Amino acid sequence: MSRRTPSLVARLAWRLAAIFLLAIAAAAGGVAWKGVRAIDSLRDQALQAQARDVERHLAVGVDGALRLDLPPALEVAYASSGGAYLYAVLDAEGRVVQASSPEAADLLADHLPGGPDPAFFRIEPAGAAGPVYGYVTRARGARIAVAQGRLHDDVLADSLVEEFLEVGLWWTVPVAVIALWVGTMTLRTSLAPLTRLSAQAGAIGPGTADVRLPEAGLPREVQPLVAAVNRALDRLKQAYEHQRRFTADAAHELRTPLAVLTARIDALDGPPVEGLRRDVDRMNRLVGQMLRVARLDAAPLDVTRPVDLRQVAVEAISAVAPLAVRERRELVLAGEPGPVWIDGDAPALAVALVNLLENALVHTSPGTGVRVELEWDGTLRVIDEGPGIPPDEREGVFRRFGRGRGTRGPGAGLGLAIVMETARAHGGTVEVGDRPGGGAVFTLRLGPARQVPTC
Amino acid sequence: MRALLIEDEGELAALVASAAHGIGLAVDAVESLEDARAALAAVEYDLVVLDLGLPDGDGVSLLRDLRAGGNPVPVLVLTARDGRDDRVAGLDAGADDYVLKPFHMAELLARLKALLRRPRGPLAMRLEVGNVFFDTVHRRVEVAGRPIVLARRELALLELLMRRAGRVLTREAIEEHLYGFEEEVGPNATEVNVHRVRKKLAAAGANAEIHTLRGVGYLMEGPGS
Repeated sequence: MSRRTPSLVARLAWRLAAIFLLAIAAAAGGVAWKGVRAIDSLRDQALQAQARDVERHLAVGVDGALRLDLPPALEVAYASSGGAYLYAVLDAEGRVVQASSPEAADLLADHLPGGPDPAFFRIEPAGAAGPVYGYVTRARGARIAVAQGRLHDDVLADSLVEEFLEVGLWWTVPVAVIALWVGTMTLRTSLAPLTRLSAQAGAIGPGTADVRLPEAGLPREVQPLVAAVNRALDRLKQAYEHQRRFTADAAHELRTPLAVLTARIDALDGPPVEGLRRDVDRMNRLVGQMLRVARLDAAPLDVTRPVDLRQVAVEAISAVAPLAVRERRELVLAGEPGPVWIDGDAPALAVALVNLLENALVHTSPGTGVRVELEWDGTLRVIDEGPGIPPDEREGVFRRFGRGRGTRGPGAGLGLAIVMETARAHGGTVEVGDRPGGGAVFTLRLGPARQVPTC
Repeated sequence: MRALLIEDEGELAALVASAAHGIGLAVDAVESLEDARAALAAVEYDLVVLDLGLPDGDGVSLLRDLRAGGNPVPVLVLTARDGRDDRVAGLDAGADDYVLKPFHMAELLARLKALLRRPRGPLAMRLEVGNVFFDTVHRRVEVAGRPIVLARRELALLELLMRRAGRVLTREAIEEHLYGFEEEVGPNATEVNVHRVRKKLAAAGANAEIHTLRGVGYLMEGPGS
């Protein structure tokens, strides 16, 4: 299939794959977003809890000074967190009363938001790996600031997505693969009858006009098309039939009176009869060729049967041989000694070759030879020893009633046109050239040859 | 010898019958399949000339019935239809030859003679081409009234050529008839045989000739045919 008409299966597969990728990406994005929001609120709660912890252990001494007595476990936890958890207690004047570390004291004292209300804040310390999130509240006349650093929420979200993908891909990828497979297989099996239909439709030709495409077993969507094709074939067959019958009737109606006329002239004697005989011969030829042309026009040849070109050549030569030997003409078949098979219509090919032979015999002098050469590739040459055909007349000789070789002879001007149309119906060509040493060479190319006949 | 002519075109039938009479054939002419069937049932003909398009049906059906009934009478189909399928149908149904209308009477008579020359049972047969005579029963050949001597294989070859006089006999057909399956046929065997026969005929003053169609076969013809 070409690029412009992509296959249904490929299209379905691509689109399904795209949908799955989008779905997975959207799910991962959603998970990440929700994860970040959850992390935010979790962090806020953690900060508030941290602040409450500090507040619980904050006391005002009898001298009015603030005192923080953290239990040893908490102290150790703060000290060993490596700066991940910070706190600072500031008095009403903003002086740091106590802090988890001197760095924490400096950091928090410098960046606390103003205002009396509890607030969350975010610090971006210079040289740190990430932001520090903090919370400040007021208790017993002091300000308590707590913070968590280092923990990177993007990293957290990433790990969440990663985890989602790790877990999620376990089932999304197989599901996607199975869906793709089922989809393409469904299409493929539904379309398989179409491939068979194409083969059957391709085999329908003028000789097999009765064949119809089977509608059974096809997907419902395709059945109307096949039914329409079958109806079209019915109409075509009728048209063929009609034309065929007409040309057959015309042949009968024309030939019968000619047969009577010919027989009547044959029964006569005397010198004037020779002229009449020539006239009726010419008329017979013309009628025969016109009927042949009419039939070629009415119904295309069935060129699908195996034909041995050597047998065709033998038949054609045998048909013109009596005429040739009477004129002391030598007829030779040369070239391939064995059969050369092509796909074609044997009787039509024999007629074409007879026309070429008659053409050669008529337009050359008595006593000269005519040679047929057969080549293995399905090429037939008819070579004569006559005057040849001038280059400017060569195209004209194949036209209907185009009498390139003068008006001499009994030709109706249709013989070579029939040759060309027969060649064309076989996907071949016919051309005329010079024989070295004088004479014309008609080359009928009908190849390609086939290896073995099928029947 | 007696022939049945089945032809609905009365004038043509009369002309054919009169010409056939000239070569020693008694002709019964009928114009329909029905009459033809009646005639065939009553008389044993040596030859049937059958037109395919008849008013009460297709001549091919009659031909098929004849052959189905085991009647081996030679049948020449005469028709204005040259549809390729018709020809195949006619020959498949058992026609021995086929002549397309319009035709020259000489051509038709030559074909009829050729059909009568065909071997059918133990018939005494005398073949004749020009001044060459062949007695197929006694295997003797005369040229211009004088006997000539031919070898066994030369006789067989000449008989084949004379039975098919006026028409091409392919080399393959000759080899098939003249040599047994187990016999090794040299590439020039037929050529050599033809050459010998031709020489003997010419030496005896025969006016019939064996023409060579190189690559195809041979054709024997009498003078002015």
